[in-house]
Amino acid sequence: MRHDVIVVGTGVAGLAAGVRLAQEGARVLVLAKGIGATHLAGATVDVLGYDPARVESPEEAIGRLASAQPGHPYARLGAAAVGEALAWLRDQVAASPMAPYAYEGGLAENLLLPTAVGAPKPTAAAPVTMLAGDLRRDERPICIVGFRQLKDFHPLLCAENLTHAQAGAGAAARGIELDLPVSGRVDENAQGIARQLEDPVFRGALVQQLAGRLQLNERVGFPAVLGLQDPHAVWSDLEHRLARPVFEIPTLPPSVPGMRLYTILRGALRAAGGRQVIGPEVIGPVASGTRLEGVRVRVGRREEVRYAEHVVLATGGFASGGLVLDSSWQARDAALGLPLAGLPEPGAPRFTSRYLDDQPMSRVGIAVDDELRPVDAHGDPVYEKVRVVGASLAGAVPWKEKSGDGISLATGHRAAELILAAGGAPAGLTTATQEGR
Amino acid sequence: MTTLQADVLVIGGGATGAGVAWDCALRGYDTILVDRRDLAEGTSGRFHGLLHSGGRYVVKDRDAAVECVHENAIVRRVAADTVEDTGGLFVTTPDDDPAYGDRFAEGCRATGLPTEEISPAAALKREPLLNPGIKRAFTVPDGSIDVWKLVWALANGAAAHGARVLTYHKVIGVRREGDVVCGARLRNELSGEEVDVEAAFTINASGAWAAEVATMAGCEGVHVAPGKGIMIAMNHRLVNTVVNRLIMPADGDILVPIRTVSVIGTTDIRSRHADELPVTQEEVDQMLDDGERLVPGLRAARALRVWAGVRPLFEDKKTGDTASTRDVSRSHAMLDHLERDGLRSFLTITGGKLTTYRLMAQDIVDAMVRQRGEDRPCRTAETPLPGSEDREQYRLGTRLRAREDELQTEQIICECELVGRGRLEAAMRRRGTVNLDDIRRNLRLGMGPCQGGFCMYRAAGILHGVDRLDGPHATGSLRHFLQERWKGMWPVLYGDQLRQARLDDWIFQGLLDVGHVPADLEGLPTPVDAELQPATLA
Amino acid sequence: MTDVLGSLLMRESLDHCVKCTICETFCPVSNVTPLFPGPKYVGPQAERFRVQDEPSFDASLDYCSGCGVCTQVCPQGVHIAEINTQARAKLRETHGFKLRDRLIARPTVLGRLGTPAAPIANFTLENKPFRLAVEKVVGVHRDAAVPKFAGRTFQKWAKAHTAPATAQRRVAYFHGCGTNYYEPRLGEMTVELLEHNGVAVEVPKQDCCGLPLQSNGMFDDARKYVHKLAERLVPYARQGVDIVGTSTSCTLMLKREALEILGLEDDEELVAVSARVFDICEYLRAMHDRGELKTDFAPLEEQVVYHAPCQQQGHGIGKPALELMALIPGLEVAESDATCCGVAGTYGLKTEKFGIAMDVGAGLFRQIAEAGPDGSVCDSETCRWHIAGATGARSVHPVEVLHRASGL
Repeated sequence: MRHDVIVVGTGVAGLAAGVRLAQEGARVLVLAKGIGATHLAGATVDVLGYDPARVESPEEAIGRLASAQPGHPYARLGAAAVGEALAWLRDQVAASPMAPYAYEGGLAENLLLPTAVGAPKPTAAAPVTMLAGDLRRDERPICIVGFRQLKDFHPLLCAENLTHAQAGAGAAARGIELDLPVSGRVDENAQGIARQLEDPVFRGALVQQLAGRLQLNERVGFPAVLGLQDPHAVWSDLEHRLARPVFEIPTLPPSVPGMRLYTILRGALRAAGGRQVIGPEVIGPVASGTRLEGVRVRVGRREEVRYAEHVVLATGGFASGGLVLDSSWQARDAALGLPLAGLPEPGAPRFTSRYLDDQPMSRVGIAVDDELRPVDAHGDPVYEKVRVVGASLAGAVPWKEKSGDGISLATGHRAAELILAAGGAPAGLTTATQEGR
Repeated sequence: MTTLQADVLVIGGGATGAGVAWDCALRGYDTILVDRRDLAEGTSGRFHGLLHSGGRYVVKDRDAAVECVHENAIVRRVAADTVEDTGGLFVTTPDDDPAYGDRFAEGCRATGLPTEEISPAAALKREPLLNPGIKRAFTVPDGSIDVWKLVWALANGAAAHGARVLTYHKVIGVRREGDVVCGARLRNELSGEEVDVEAAFTINASGAWAAEVATMAGCEGVHVAPGKGIMIAMNHRLVNTVVNRLIMPADGDILVPIRTVSVIGTTDIRSRHADELPVTQEEVDQMLDDGERLVPGLRAARALRVWAGVRPLFEDKKTGDTASTRDVSRSHAMLDHLERDGLRSFLTITGGKLTTYRLMAQDIVDAMVRQRGEDRPCRTAETPLPGSEDREQYRLGTRLRAREDELQTEQIICECELVGRGRLEAAMRRRGTVNLDDIRRNLRLGMGPCQGGFCMYRAAGILHGVDRLDGPHATGSLRHFLQERWKGMWPVLYGDQLRQARLDDWIFQGLLDVGHVPADLEGLPTPVDAELQPATLA
Repeated sequence: MTDVLGSLLMRESLDHCVKCTICETFCPVSNVTPLFPGPKYVGPQAERFRVQDEPSFDASLDYCSGCGVCTQVCPQGVHIAEINTQARAKLRETHGFKLRDRLIARPTVLGRLGTPAAPIANFTLENKPFRLAVEKVVGVHRDAAVPKFAGRTFQKWAKAHTAPATAQRRVAYFHGCGTNYYEPRLGEMTVELLEHNGVAVEVPKQDCCGLPLQSNGMFDDARKYVHKLAERLVPYARQGVDIVGTSTSCTLMLKREALEILGLEDDEELVAVSARVFDICEYLRAMHDRGELKTDFAPLEEQVVYHAPCQQQGHGIGKPALELMALIPGLEVAESDATCCGVAGTYGLKTEKFGIAMDVGAGLFRQIAEAGPDGSVCDSETCRWHIAGATGARSVHPVEVLHRASGL
């Protein structure tokens, strides 16, 4: 069976590309050797937070970054494309069964949201359930509430650091640690608590615990546990019962907001007739010259071929094994064997001895042209119809820049746009409706 | 300034020093044990964990072998809780001369070391990941020993008998009254405060730094050559038996299963200074290649961490420098400064190996007792250490089994190493430390595959609550731990561990943004090599 | 580590674990009960604490149902479920095998006993006091959905059946114990559907694939059974004849699980067979891709829920049943998002696990109840029995739907 597009990887980058394409009628197959980083990341849309100073306006800063770092993925996209992708995501969320859960924010000005350790972190967009934690121009005091059973979130540490981080100005924060209302497990994770919070009786008990403990003007921050299926209902009910703004703070995995995002995008893919198969691992190209015919995959113990007109590589970089560095310090792209850019010379240091410093290996990845096609050392495309997106791209240090979500979303979306412009949909249109959902 | 008084001041909190403190305390001496850092941060904490059967010395150094045979049995008795009866194998790899096995067998006979030659097939059945091309194999009673547990059991045992243990107290001067050594001046490395210790006797057990201390006392010509060796901890037990290469002792010829990891070691490079222990790329590659000889595919396995330790190799100044530090005697050296330098109440013990810590301690404390003209016999060979009273040797599955009983009642903080919240909080209180790295050494917090990736934030949050630290201090502790862990990771950061590190970067920097939280590092130790050349390593 | 025994390869994969928690978020069991600490815990994490020859004491491991979802979703390639299954075998060896497990792990033995006396056997199995006694003595939960004996075997039908003269290809049919003793009609439908599409079906003599024995930790016995089965099927494999199966868990056993978990990489017959085994929907979809499937289906105005069993998902082939049913006009198929129905083979039959199995499947059962009276479609027999028992609605194999729509 032939598809129009094979997307390799089911994180934000892969799903953004896959959903966009499927919604335009392309026959899309998303292959992934496992679940993507949606379940691990905070699910805010970090577009550009530091460059290296704190970024107020991503719109402006992207332009500057693109000039200063021509090898950066944003230099391939430009602020307009990033803005389009963000708007597209907001629309997808707003149109999903999870509505009125929605994302808000844009490229004009970064939000400033607290992290679980109390850092004020710039981000471009976030779910409504997080917005009341915005630290910009808001001096209302904050009460951070955590649970003894949730070791992945420490409200007192978070609150204290938050206060210090704002250097005396801004909102004062304090923390409270509660016992979860219903005595169940001694060791909970965010997912377990999120499920319980979807029960109104449980919410009532939680509200009871907080009765009388909150001060007049305080807004309340929880760890990101405000529901999996219907977060808007959980969040707005808590706001209503507590009679004050409520927000959630992303913390250690499992990421509940990330799981919601996955559910939304996965649902959108399915609704648009796209397919996803989890299990097969792409291990090489099937190609002649710059013409890629398909990919070789390993399914269980078998090696098979899947054919497609276009391939989007969204394999997630080193963290997910999409890119591999071996013990002889050789690095490679595990899926298609594409050349990597930015690798230190043999014998040169790959890392430095201070953790927070710039590391030579940080920017290593697959370099692409303006069409997001992988290029070789001369800058020529290796394959005509392959696009590389997300964390496997060279040139960025997303965890430092706070740009990971922006890069994944924008390159995934752009790859879809480029494929559609190259005529990637029509072949699949009729068959897709025939098999319709 | 505080002044403390004691019968004995023991300088150096490694296995030897802690062993001396235990021995002294058992003999009724009021003892103070000091170390410039945490206990066992010197040589003791940086070796691979082998409890020698003696097999490595039966050909080259029979005296050392006999010592090991003897002490091995004693340590298994008195420190049972710290020892795992892994057994050992000596194997001839395809690159080795099978004839050496005969010399080995002869040496075992001569030294009384129990050994049995088994077929390569039998060896492979026992250890399926071994090189299928091995040609000969011998069994020996090697074990592996958890040195953190050992040293703390010795220190706690001494403390239970009234000893005081002062970590992070560096000796900055040895006190003398004429030709009598009467204690030392210490500096608290965390607070900067100075402390005087008045002691009737001083024992210098500072291992690779013994020459520095001896020099401070005015003794000349004491030279301890720092023999640097690196070791790499592999994520899991590739073998459950200690595997030695059946050749004359060489680099990378041993793979030790210790707790949840296996350690491949080691190199042997003369270092300029005991605090200058760079890990070079060549050494790392060499270790991986050597490891491949024993376990093919080791390069594809996950390396967690690399570190360098320094062997204290005492050189008698009369014979001058030797070319290879490996050839300098491994037996311990005791310096009687009364004889040598005319100094009373001061003895130095250095050299040796961890397996014979008890014997070294016994020798030096006996010498002290003799010099004092007293009659107090050593009891360490019969007295079990705290935790080893039931004489049950450690088994790998212990923590897993113990966890079963507390699955529903105890929150787990370090998942990789199964450390529960109760134990963690108790250790934090007991140590009164802000340094999560200290806790790591006690509980193995963060010593598993994620190297603290998931438990570090949890531990910092708990520390914040338990110690009533302020936020910036707790964050400082977290940042310090991040840096300490990075130190050991980056030279072997490839493959699976790079994936882990990258995920952790996403979490610590991308999600938590620890770089932008105020961090107060007061009360946390600075790296020892900070004063030496910067650590830029290729 | 490719030069190492197959089963050790599973253990060595623990090195890939970066503790990300993804497996835990998907684990159907740990999400409903704290008795099971989760796949990451009992798999790659605890495995670092296990020594080959030493006994195992982590009893909580026993709550792993073996559904395999963890392995599927793990982005790093840790063979979590396989590590768990191997560890569980060791645990059982340490603590001995229960009589119950010995019994329910041998479906052909039960089948051979029950078939001749089917009416009485079935009556007894529905008898409440008898079930209560069985629960107390043997440990099979009184409400666990046990199938009815058909009173005849599919093998017998197959022997008497003659294939049509015209056929473009042939396959060997690995029907499994479930079809043979409890659902022979499904076997007949499968043969008829294949013949309708120009495929001649041979039904070799065969016995159990050993999967229940493997899941219950009786590895030596499992190896014997799977090897015997491989010997019976290998002549077809060697002739290039495909082997199709209607029990998606049993085909997965042959495709990969037996090799990985039982360490049978050296079993040449099994290796040859494993390369040619196909799930029936996988096979039919491939035929459709080549234009060889008759798609003139009659409309079926029904609304069903399709549940892909955990082990169907373990094939990594997507959900071919969905794609096939999409060809039937009028048929509305809602896709279940449940990763597991709860029964996981024999797990959900056990007294101490039945409650967990029902909690695991709760969401699925609700979805089926809300969908209407037409019930569900599912590729594994143990799942169908469990789902039917819990929902009271019919649960059929996709072949049955295709068979009906083909007007056979």
